[in-house]
Amino acid sequence: MATSPLTDELKVFQKYRDEWVHSNPGKFVVIQDSVVAEGFFDTYSEALKAGIQKFGVGRGFLVKQVWKTEPVYFVS
Amino acid sequence: MGRHEIEWDPFDPNDPGPCIKVIVSNSYDVIDGWNALGLDCPEPRHVTALIDTGASVSIISKTFANNCKLFQTGEGSELRTLAGPLGCVEHAGAISFPGTTLRPFDSLRIVAADFVRERSFSCLIGTDILRNWRITFDGRSKRVLIED
Repeated sequence: MATSPLTDELKVFQKYRDEWVHSNPGKFVVIQDSVVAEGFFDTYSEALKAGIQKFGVGRGFLVKQVWKTEPVYFVS
Repeated sequence: MGRHEIEWDPFDPNDPGPCIKVIVSNSYDVIDGWNALGLDCPEPRHVTALIDTGASVSIISKTFANNCKLFQTGEGSELRTLAGPLGCVEHAGAISFPGTTLRPFDSLRIVAADFVRERSFSCLIGTDILRNWRITFDGRSKRVLIED
């Protein structure tokens, strides 16, 4: 089975999730490989810009909002 | 303030709903970064999008996202639909509305999912964009007015 491109980043997010949920709920974090960009961001847009500054655009990085449970998108 | 009117016939069972032409591309920051690296950037594409008040996020087809090489920023999110849950991928992108004065959106999270057997549109404009608009659905005159 193919590994998804952001599997490692999601593992890092899971590792720190509980800690971040307490310190910065609802904020966005940016992760590439095992590196977490410094800071928490109020919006997806701010997090994206910070990620580009930190990691560049050579390959994707994870932009993830800090919630205790995974958000679900709805289409009805 | 932008203003755009589109046709929609709620009396026609074959009408898919109010649709608008959009251009989907990578976020401008990503394009600038790629240009600086000398990387090829796919041309922005015109697609038809459904205005969908039932979608909590804007969604494009996976095929389209791959063809546009949209910059990936997420994986494994769940999209809950009437047909059941779907896995989806998240991208950063920009959406604009050609031929209108509506404000474009940049650095937007766009979810990519499979559009199965859907030929009328390949994008859903969800409430992440709709919350910025005032929309009037006038069924009797078969028109939808969008103001931002």
